[in-house]
Amino acid sequence: MNRRTSIKRLLLFGAVGVSSFSVYEWFNFNKSININTFYTYKYLIAELAETIIPRTSTPGAKDAKVEEYIIKILGYCTEPRTQHKFLTGLTDLENYSSNKYGHSFVKCGKGEKASILNHFEEKSKYPVNVLNKINNKFIGKPFFVKLKELTVEGYCMSEPGATQGLAYDFIPSTYQSCIPLQPNQRSWATK
Amino acid sequence: MYIGGTSKENATYDAIVVGSGISGGWAAMELCKKGMKTLLLERGRNVEHVKDYTTAFKKPWEFPLGMNHTLDEIKASPVQSQFDDPGNMQFFVNDTDHPYLGTKSFNWIRGYQVGGRSLVWGRQCYRWSDLDFEANLKEGVAVDWPIRYKDIAPWYDYAEQFIGVSGKKEGLAQLPDGQFLPPMELNCIENHLADSLKKKYSDRLLTIARVANLTTRWDNRGPCQNRNLCSRGCPFGGYFSSNSSTIPAAFQTGNLTLRPFSIATEILYDEKSQKATGVRIIDTVSKESLEYYAKIIFVNASTIATAGLLLNSKSNRFPDGFGNDSGQLGHNLMDHHSSAGASGVHDGFEDMYYKGRRPCGFLIPRFRNLKPGAGLDFSRGYNIQGHGERAEWSDRMNTPGFGEDFKGQISTPGPWTTWMAGWGECLPYYENKVSADPNEKDEWGQPLMRIEFSFKDNENKMMKDIKESSAEILSSAGFKNIDTFNYNHPGGSTVHEMGTARMGRDPKISVLNGNNQIHAAKNVFITDGSCMTSSACQNPSLTYMALTARACDFAAKELKNGNI
Repeated sequence: MNRRTSIKRLLLFGAVGVSSFSVYEWFNFNKSININTFYTYKYLIAELAETIIPRTSTPGAKDAKVEEYIIKILGYCTEPRTQHKFLTGLTDLENYSSNKYGHSFVKCGKGEKASILNHFEEKSKYPVNVLNKINNKFIGKPFFVKLKELTVEGYCMSEPGATQGLAYDFIPSTYQSCIPLQPNQRSWATK
Repeated sequence: MYIGGTSKENATYDAIVVGSGISGGWAAMELCKKGMKTLLLERGRNVEHVKDYTTAFKKPWEFPLGMNHTLDEIKASPVQSQFDDPGNMQFFVNDTDHPYLGTKSFNWIRGYQVGGRSLVWGRQCYRWSDLDFEANLKEGVAVDWPIRYKDIAPWYDYAEQFIGVSGKKEGLAQLPDGQFLPPMELNCIENHLADSLKKKYSDRLLTIARVANLTTRWDNRGPCQNRNLCSRGCPFGGYFSSNSSTIPAAFQTGNLTLRPFSIATEILYDEKSQKATGVRIIDTVSKESLEYYAKIIFVNASTIATAGLLLNSKSNRFPDGFGNDSGQLGHNLMDHHSSAGASGVHDGFEDMYYKGRRPCGFLIPRFRNLKPGAGLDFSRGYNIQGHGERAEWSDRMNTPGFGEDFKGQISTPGPWTTWMAGWGECLPYYENKVSADPNEKDEWGQPLMRIEFSFKDNENKMMKDIKESSAEILSSAGFKNIDTFNYNHPGGSTVHEMGTARMGRDPKISVLNGNNQIHAAKNVFITDGSCMTSSACQNPSLTYMALTARACDFAAKELKNGNI
């Protein structure tokens, strides 16, 4: 495939995701969002993270204060397009929750929460993998994908997550190259 | 240690070394051990072993943004930020403070501090062989190396015995064995892959990486604690760096003066004696321009900066740059490519795991073009480097679902995976080059370096072969979901830049002779990556260290005999 056709295809695929945007929205979409905006959704983000990584016999996302991590990464380390996609995702999710259950996600029961997240996980997938990649590039990572990634990262790098949810080995000293898996073996927190 | 003397008497040494990275540290140590009063110049700050490894003991949760850069950091340092993280970024320059031209074609990764990039290097130590030293001559490419394996072999011994290299002897002609500490160990999946290679191929094997990580205590350092946080600096001295090893050894002689914050701007030349007399520097603290003098000068500023220093050192005798009679200075820039490879997943060994974070992977030594007439569409070869592991949380984020089951999956070991890529030889092309820009200057008034570089047909064909052979190796060992890739990283991304002041037999077409002396100024030696005549496919630092020790030995003898 020469460069020109590949660009044409890229534009064509991109258009699928971009078509619903006006020029004005496109411009706005590239402006960064202040971290304080995300802080106003702190309780919602905490609840979403806990639904993804709940407290079991080991700490959950709330125990690890994953919402703080998610908000910091959104505020300081995230491209504007993905920021906007995330913010839109949060409001869409709240609207969906009120329309369907008559209250905010935070007030939903376990089953309602699961059904809402199922809906948003489905929505985050395009049928073709190439479309996923190109849409990520043009309009940012889908809300649910980003939410899940940040939740996992924030949890697994937190002290409760790394030391209780996973196994953290501060100074291994030796490398034991080939050992039997122990009962209830957790995976290593760091590579 | 920190000096300010400016009178000619105070400013005169037996030897000056420019740059304190992996080869400069070696030069300083060797010259000091031979009794020479040596001035070691470093443009950046001092970094003291252990004391200045400020992030070494930080736990993951002590980084508020994890291993992510902020968008501001990426904007300020778009090149380096692809290579560093919040754990080690104190050892990388900031691109805004240290700009260069040609950023699209070449990633110039730098560490301006005492120890240079020896703090963050990959620690792989592989010997070259005559397959490499003879290749240019046999193929009529560029110029012939003025040395052969027998010239450097004792110096490989010497360097390995000092730095401590763990590894396994394999008896291969193309990758000679060295003086090794006990090897690191392969894990279950890597052993499986090694067995599979042994059974299915007569020309290939898999061995543990040979690395400057200590498996036993060595030279009052180590052993390696298997934390795999080397690039933050190791408080245990578990790996070799200038900071942990050569610079302290040089200080021990009482002959070393270390001068950080000193940018070398010119090598001074005396037409009468036809020798260099010293080095001009800018003191970045006092902003003064100062001159230091010595009988011998070693230039170890790193491949691109060394070429820049020479190009900027113009005189009546050398109007095109110091020692540049051949016009080759700045040309023939090389970097290994390491973009192409494959990964796969294996169903077996479900009940096995490992403990500890081994700071290296495995090596499949070069198996292509070992003999002429192999019928391939490219020349030279590559080695494959990779590692096997079980999928852990960072590999499993996109597992579908959420809740308890999802949590269970990300917190337990997933299937075994193996990733591997080919580290490939890059031919020396005259048009791949660095130059000092005539117009643009840095904050010290020094010309910005311009880098022009591309991989060409031979490298591209080799990368295609790497993809195919890697996939085939994995597939024949029962791996599934094999994914071949070519990241298409630009030059510089392997951080093995070489070749801008090549060694050769003929002064008309090379900059240095077989003892790393500038042909036309015999008291100037260059033993960093710029001296390399070809790139082979082995990680090059060990060869720089061996060449440096060899050149220092030669320089001391020549000085004693009154020849320089």
